[in-house]
Amino acid sequence: MNIDLDKMLAKVRSSQWALADIDWDAPGAELVTAEQWPKLKEFMSDLMWIEHVGARGFAAMAKKAPNDTLKELYVYFHAEEQRHANTEMALMRRWGMLDGEEIPEPNINLRLVIEWLDQHSDDMPLEVLGSVIPMLEIALDGALCKFLLDTVNDPVCHQAFARINDDESRHLGVGFHVLEMQGHGNLYRMALKAVATALNPKLMLGILAYLPLLNRMRDNIITMGLKEESLYSAMKKYERIGGRTAAGRRNPWFQIISRHGRLVVNRKHLYHRPVDALVRLTDHYPRRLLRPIPTWVKQLTYKTTA
Amino acid sequence: MSPTAVTRKTAARRSRAARGKVKPADVLIVGAGFAGLGTAIRLLAAGIDNIVILERGSEVGGTWRDNSYPGAACDIPSNLYSFSFAQNPQWSRGYSGSGEILGYIRHLVAHYKLGRLIRFGHTVTGLAFDAEQGVWNASLAGGGVVSARAAVMAQGPLSNASFPDIAGIERFKGHKIHSARWDHGYDFTGKRVAVIGTGASAVQIIPELVGKAARLKVFQRTPAWVLPRLDYSAPDWSKAVFRRVPATQSLVREVMYWAHESMAFGMIWNTPMTTLLQGVSSRFLRRQVRDPWMRRQLAPDFRIGCKRVLMSSDYYRALQRDNCELITWPIAGIVEKGIRTSEGLEHQVDCIVFATGFEVSKSGTPFPITGLDGRKLGAEWARGAQAYKSVNVAGYPNLFMTFGPNSGPGHNSALVYMESQIDYIVRGIGTILRQDLKQLDVRAEAQVRYNKGIQKRLATTNWNSGCKSWYLTEDGYNATMYPGFATQFKRQMKTFAQQDYRAL
Ligand SMILES: Cc1cc2nc3c(=O)[nH]c(=O)nc-3n(C[C@H](O)[C@H](O)[C@H](O)COP(=O)(O)OP(=O)(O)OC[C@H]3O[C@@H](n4cnc5c(N)ncnc54)[C@H](O)[C@@H]3O)c2cc1C
Ligand SMILES: [Fe+2]
Ligand SMILES: [Fe+2]
Repeated sequence: MNIDLDKMLAKVRSSQWALADIDWDAPGAELVTAEQWPKLKEFMSDLMWIEHVGARGFAAMAKKAPNDTLKELYVYFHAEEQRHANTEMALMRRWGMLDGEEIPEPNINLRLVIEWLDQHSDDMPLEVLGSVIPMLEIALDGALCKFLLDTVNDPVCHQAFARINDDESRHLGVGFHVLEMQGHGNLYRMALKAVATALNPKLMLGILAYLPLLNRMRDNIITMGLKEESLYSAMKKYERIGGRTAAGRRNPWFQIISRHGRLVVNRKHLYHRPVDALVRLTDHYPRRLLRPIPTWVKQLTYKTTA
Repeated sequence: MSPTAVTRKTAARRSRAARGKVKPADVLIVGAGFAGLGTAIRLLAAGIDNIVILERGSEVGGTWRDNSYPGAACDIPSNLYSFSFAQNPQWSRGYSGSGEILGYIRHLVAHYKLGRLIRFGHTVTGLAFDAEQGVWNASLAGGGVVSARAAVMAQGPLSNASFPDIAGIERFKGHKIHSARWDHGYDFTGKRVAVIGTGASAVQIIPELVGKAARLKVFQRTPAWVLPRLDYSAPDWSKAVFRRVPATQSLVREVMYWAHESMAFGMIWNTPMTTLLQGVSSRFLRRQVRDPWMRRQLAPDFRIGCKRVLMSSDYYRALQRDNCELITWPIAGIVEKGIRTSEGLEHQVDCIVFATGFEVSKSGTPFPITGLDGRKLGAEWARGAQAYKSVNVAGYPNLFMTFGPNSGPGHNSALVYMESQIDYIVRGIGTILRQDLKQLDVRAEAQVRYNKGIQKRLATTNWNSGCKSWYLTEDGYNATMYPGFATQFKRQMKTFAQQDYRAL
């Protein structure tokens, strides 16, 4: 996927939108059924925190971008993920799912991933973030949005997600472009560097947070009464798009992540025993070990003006 | 005399000047800021007094007339940010405020009796060389021409305030203020205020406004390196000593000069000193700002010196006040009620302060300049400006500039650089008048040679290390900064090599 980053930046600049562009009091909120409501509430709060995984990832990538155009794109994407989270909060508020100024709680696995990103992502090389963020975007962000639109009839929700998905298509465009960009160079040296990076204990902690997150989201999707296959097909899409070009396939991180994706979609694989155990284990993760929530969280808001 | 009689008389004088019947002045100077006035003072000292200073404003002072925003002050110590030939023992502070600097400039005008030379309300719209006569003709807005045998461009490197190119800026219904055109009639008390920009002016304005406004929102695009500014108010005894024994003030000035010179090691080139300075600045940030996320937002990701280093001891503290908010989301546009940022929020405010700097001509010229055979300097400079020793350009005889290409300091007082440019200009003009030359034109080869050296030396500096700044053109060409110590610049300006010039 070879795109012209300068044109992309111009497109991003001209495609900015604000929460105020949406009429949050338009009719249709009642289309969320009483039966849907509790599950939807949980789903939405997960979703808005997933936006933050992307957001924090982009914030870290902006500091490492090899050129100014890419850097600026990441700065925008960081802001756009925040916009998505704000939009999702506004939807929750519309549906009566927010009490006052309260910010929804993320599930423990999301919390751990965000904590890791906040602590260590600034120290991770661009290859790692640039390869894993598209996976998270396509599998979680992308697939979950689709689920939502299939189940909720509120037109305002559809309106909001039309805009969000529009942004996401650009995130993915740039994401896969960078994934391929990182696949150019000496294969041997790239592999060596990947091994060295993988041995970094900070990254191992990250992997330990990442693995159970995917399984947790799968479980949540099933609880919602949705088919897990859609999640899998989204994950396969990562392998399909990222592996379209030789350069993409040569990127060792693409190889690692897409191979791992194959394990995730294969429910019969032994992989799921320890990882599912890990999910259950994290349920008992002592809250006092969690660090205080970072202050950027306080900037989240469902409001259109400030 | 009736007003019409005055106009008639002026018109008659102007048309006579246009026909070239009025004897041209010896020197015309564009701009009555530090540079224009300093040039006039040194010309007078050299016995050249047929001088005309054309100033578009109605007051002297340039930068310090225009920048009167709350907190405006120099960030080079006043003892160094003043002329060595006119030291001021009375500076009330280490870093004097804009009003005091303006007072100093007015004092220069009075002391050296420059008032009679200045024509206020005269905006130069073009300069054209008449090779036949050996005369520069300055055309004026509203008609009229002023002619002189030599012309000095001292219109200021940062004299044209610029609003940023943000979509919808004209839609804003609230109050708009540019830092360089402060509206002193506007009362900020209890207002919701936005400041766009976090550069040299902004870090001075923000600590002042945060105490007045109900809420202050600071919009930052790129964080800069900040070093504490150790300001102090000058005790009476030191003023008395400076007054009675001027040599002590010269000594203090000398010490400050070398202290700033030593900064060049870290700011201009990437050396252990760079790391040291970055360390000092990072520690300052860590000590001042408690929240790690805010620290991250404020941490620069380019090498120190690559852009102007900001000097402020109260900026970080101001940002952390309860009524202040630092916003680092990109600005998506301006609407009727405020500023929309990319995270989707509309920040509604009563007033937007634009601390967004100036239009800097790195390519092109501030007004059309026509040299020998109709050549246009703007066109020649389209890809980036160049000159000989920053002062002369081949093909434009008898034209001199202050703060021309590659004359900017990154680490020391602009006035130190300015003084050596002025002395050089006075020698050039002295040569023209003494030898009664029609043209004193720098040789193209000399200019090329000079610029090869400059660009080669620039390549290894921090400015050219890959960060974007107003020092560089869109193509990354550096036509602004001088790659070296002030001492080197001063030395190069000391010699006036007439063999590098063609005299006619
Ligand atoms: C806010 C601010 C703070 C600064 N602080 C420092 C500092 O601490 N230390 C430092 O070294 N430097 C500082 N500088 C840089 C400063 O610009 C120079 O130090 C110095 O003041 C420049 O003087 P000048 O005479 O060249 O230009 P100016 O002071 O800008 O004077 C130029 C004059 O020319 C006039 N003019 C412009 N165009 C025309 C025209 N077409 N026709 C007629 N007249 C015209 C203008 O009206 C103005 O009066 C600062 C600059 C700013 C903006
Ligand atoms: Fe998103
Ligand atoms: Fe995204």
